[in-house]
Amino acid sequence: MPGMAEGHILRDGLRDAAKLPSPSGELECDVAIFGSGVAGMTAAWRLAKAGRRNILVIAGPEPDGNAAGASMAGQACPSGAHYLPLPSMESRHVREMLADVGVIISDPFGHRPEFDERILVHAQQERLLRAGKWHEDLLPDEASTTQERSEHQRFLRYVEQLKTATGNDGKRAFAIPIALSSQDAQWRALDRLNFRDWLTREGYRSAPLHWYANYACRDDYGTSYEHTSAYAGLHYFASRAGEARNAEPGAVLTWPDGLQGMMRALRSKIGFGAHLDNSTAPRQMTGFAASIQIRNKAVDALVVQPASGTASLRTLRVRARHAICAMPLHVAAHVVEDMRGYGFDPATHLPQSAPWMIANFLMRRFPEERAAAQLAWDNVIYEGKGLGYVVATHQLIRVAKPEHAVFTAYNALSDRSPQDSRRWLETASPAQLLERAAGDMHLAYEQLWPYVERVDITLRGHAMASPAPGYLNNKGLLALREVDGPLQFAHSDMSGYSVFEEAAWWGEMAARRLL
Amino acid sequence: MRDRVLILSVFVVASCGLAYELIAGALASYLLGDTVLQFSSIIGCYLFAMGVGSHLSRYVKDEDALARFIDVELLVGIVGGLSATILFSIFAWASTPFRTVLYALVFLIGVLVGMEIPLVMRVLYGRKAELREMVSRVLTFDYLGALAVSLLFPLVLAPRLGMSRTALVFGLLNAGVALFTAQVFGKELHGKRGIRLRGTAVAVVLIAGLAFSSQLTHWAEQSVFGDQIIHAETTPYQRMVVTRWQDDLRLYLNGNLQFSTRDEHRYHEALVHPAMQSLPGARSVLVLGGGDGLAVRELLKYPKLEHITLVDLDPAMTKLFSTSETLTAINQHSLTNPRVKVINADAGQWLETDTGSYDAIIIDLPDPSNFALGKLYSVPMYRLVSKHLAEHGYVVVQSTSPYFAPHAFWCVVATLKEAGFYTWPYHANVPSFGEWGYVLAGKHDSFTQPDHYDVPLRFLDASSTREMFHFPSDMVAPEVEPNRLNNQSLVHYFEQDWHRVIR
Repeated sequence: MPGMAEGHILRDGLRDAAKLPSPSGELECDVAIFGSGVAGMTAAWRLAKAGRRNILVIAGPEPDGNAAGASMAGQACPSGAHYLPLPSMESRHVREMLADVGVIISDPFGHRPEFDERILVHAQQERLLRAGKWHEDLLPDEASTTQERSEHQRFLRYVEQLKTATGNDGKRAFAIPIALSSQDAQWRALDRLNFRDWLTREGYRSAPLHWYANYACRDDYGTSYEHTSAYAGLHYFASRAGEARNAEPGAVLTWPDGLQGMMRALRSKIGFGAHLDNSTAPRQMTGFAASIQIRNKAVDALVVQPASGTASLRTLRVRARHAICAMPLHVAAHVVEDMRGYGFDPATHLPQSAPWMIANFLMRRFPEERAAAQLAWDNVIYEGKGLGYVVATHQLIRVAKPEHAVFTAYNALSDRSPQDSRRWLETASPAQLLERAAGDMHLAYEQLWPYVERVDITLRGHAMASPAPGYLNNKGLLALREVDGPLQFAHSDMSGYSVFEEAAWWGEMAARRLL
Repeated sequence: MRDRVLILSVFVVASCGLAYELIAGALASYLLGDTVLQFSSIIGCYLFAMGVGSHLSRYVKDEDALARFIDVELLVGIVGGLSATILFSIFAWASTPFRTVLYALVFLIGVLVGMEIPLVMRVLYGRKAELREMVSRVLTFDYLGALAVSLLFPLVLAPRLGMSRTALVFGLLNAGVALFTAQVFGKELHGKRGIRLRGTAVAVVLIAGLAFSSQLTHWAEQSVFGDQIIHAETTPYQRMVVTRWQDDLRLYLNGNLQFSTRDEHRYHEALVHPAMQSLPGARSVLVLGGGDGLAVRELLKYPKLEHITLVDLDPAMTKLFSTSETLTAINQHSLTNPRVKVINADAGQWLETDTGSYDAIIIDLPDPSNFALGKLYSVPMYRLVSKHLAEHGYVVVQSTSPYFAPHAFWCVVATLKEAGFYTWPYHANVPSFGEWGYVLAGKHDSFTQPDHYDVPLRFLDASSTREMFHFPSDMVAPEVEPNRLNNQSLVHYFEQDWHRVIR
């Protein structure tokens, strides 16, 4: 449960400085970045690229945040998000970043850039287990009735049209980053409706289509489709219009350890120095902010470094001319002094956050597939409780199957309310967690346990903001997007949902204001 | 009541009789082909033999009729029951005596079955049954039994049990009839204990046959390779089988023919020499795949070559071809030559870590029949290969058949081009494979077909080389996409192309 102890300490009032040892040191910097997830790292990358050196990143409880990865028996695997869609035309910041780390080989801002094929997901990208049979498509034609097929075609044709639909301001109706989308009220009216009601209103009755739409919401937003804004539901399908010269539309980018692969590349581009007291190279320190205040037009923060090894818990004072608060907003609400002063009232503006469970199964050899089916990268079970599982060794260029592999099973706990799910996560026994984590794989394989050597489960109580109906008009989020001054905000929460391009966008925006 | 038992045995006996006939017919057409001929000749032989049996039944004395019936049942049980197993085994052993044994068995079973009905009729007649009634009932049940089996055999028994086990089950039924009859008519028989003993022995043999039939079938099916198996081994990566028929040695990997000593020189000369003859200064060569050492044997003909590195996935394969006397005679001990370094690794993984540069890289990998193998024919893989190739060097890729799998073949060409290579595709006729394809590729735009070869060869010369690089109009290149990792078009092309050829 990364960050839970730290988070609950903050929630339960660690800001009462009396409980902490007095600061044992002080660090000064030009820009302090609180949080090392995608938003924070993008900001650091942009600043470093512009020649700024005196940058200090305070990693937060878990480096890489939702882009974190892990390693089991030497095999890298994700413990957070696992892929990045081909970047849309608007995601110039992501394209520039991908070109910088060599994932885009040529024509980064063109319609169809060339990507490094080793990073594009190899065939077979996905498959769906339905009624005991694997299909290559999440909406398999061969398993649908004529009526369902025609509905699927209508839906897919419609979202294909939405990819190029624009509003009266000439902007794309569903752009990613969402801040670049059209403000046209006609499109934004969709935000008043939930996605299930929208499907019903439009006359979609196909059960597989409803399952698919619900799956998409659970997969990207952590909530079921009846709790997801119809705008967000359609955004999932319509915003990813990126293309590649050397891949089909709909291809995605992935690394064995999911998005951590991207973060690793980004870190090496930033070029972090080894010493904290040397301000000629960007620095990164462990620890998390307990308080962030503005004093004399500069940022003054108290950073807690938890006890580790022989070192006991200590605090440091960080003074920065500028700071970027790149942490989740529900944490920032407890850390940043006077959030209301920025136009953000935590009591009303905090988006609901969804809990997630990511389980890494270290496999010894590969379980037997039904009817000699070929394992895909993403393996989804129709009407499964989980979101399926991805295979960490899929991108290896190997003929022989490796001795060990890691299967990563994702679960959005959207079958009950986020609060109830968090309570369940806190109290569930390891056996109960394991049962939930292995649910999908049990449906996929007759014999699972003989192949499983170890299971590591990562629980993320507040994994991501969920775009409930009305999220587009969250005044608090709109206010934070505009904040300029000594302290800036950068986090995907500000978009109302958790996606790499959004996090990177707010990191980019914050950095640009400082340049 | 006893008469009813006899009538019931007629039903069972008739089923068994027809079953053996059907099994022999099905087996013969399965193993020898030509269904019409096999079924006709087997039915003919069987009916004739039944006639002989009926004739012979007259030599049985009236008082012995019941005892002989039981004997006949036990004999049919053991011979008929084991018939399919025996035939499978004989076929696996050698095909010449198979027909002889087949017709001998069919004749023997026919004679025995031919005696059954006359004997039963005589027993019943001896028991003062009315002739009209008796003939009618016996023959009714005889034909009913035949009907039952003729339906059960193709619909249930053959698909569920297979030939060997079906025959064994019917053998058990025959033995059961013998034992049951002996039990019911005990008082009228002498030597009841002997009958019981023999009956039990037959049943035990048949049951044992049932228990071991899966092993027997496995052994027999392996022998469908037809030739003598001189080595068979299952490694973690594949099943290797080496067979010999006269002077022809063949290697099969997972059932696919890799080479036949009759014509492998064509395949390997075409693979190695067009590139090597054009690289007179070559010092080091890398071979990916080719664990049989035959490409290396061709390379060793170049005395100036100092280092040959062979990377093959399967240690069992390179060990077999380094140590087996028969096989090292074929590759001329190439794998143990001091100029050769054998590495057992996954080609892609090894290339990622190796830092060497090679004058020629010979890629002799299995066909791209699945996504894992398809990765080794992809743009990134060829880019990786390119990094290991000297500026003046050449790559050669075995690329499946341009005649049978044109999309797959030209996809390899397109993939190499996409990876930045200039390509010169060619093909050679290898009789046991058919028309086979290769792609020669380099980082520069110059390659001239050799007009002679400096090393001794059996197949390649100036004119065969000219033909190799010429693609006649029935082998023109179709429009294809390069093989990218994210769609693996090559695997799809390969499947579709070969699906059209192999029905």
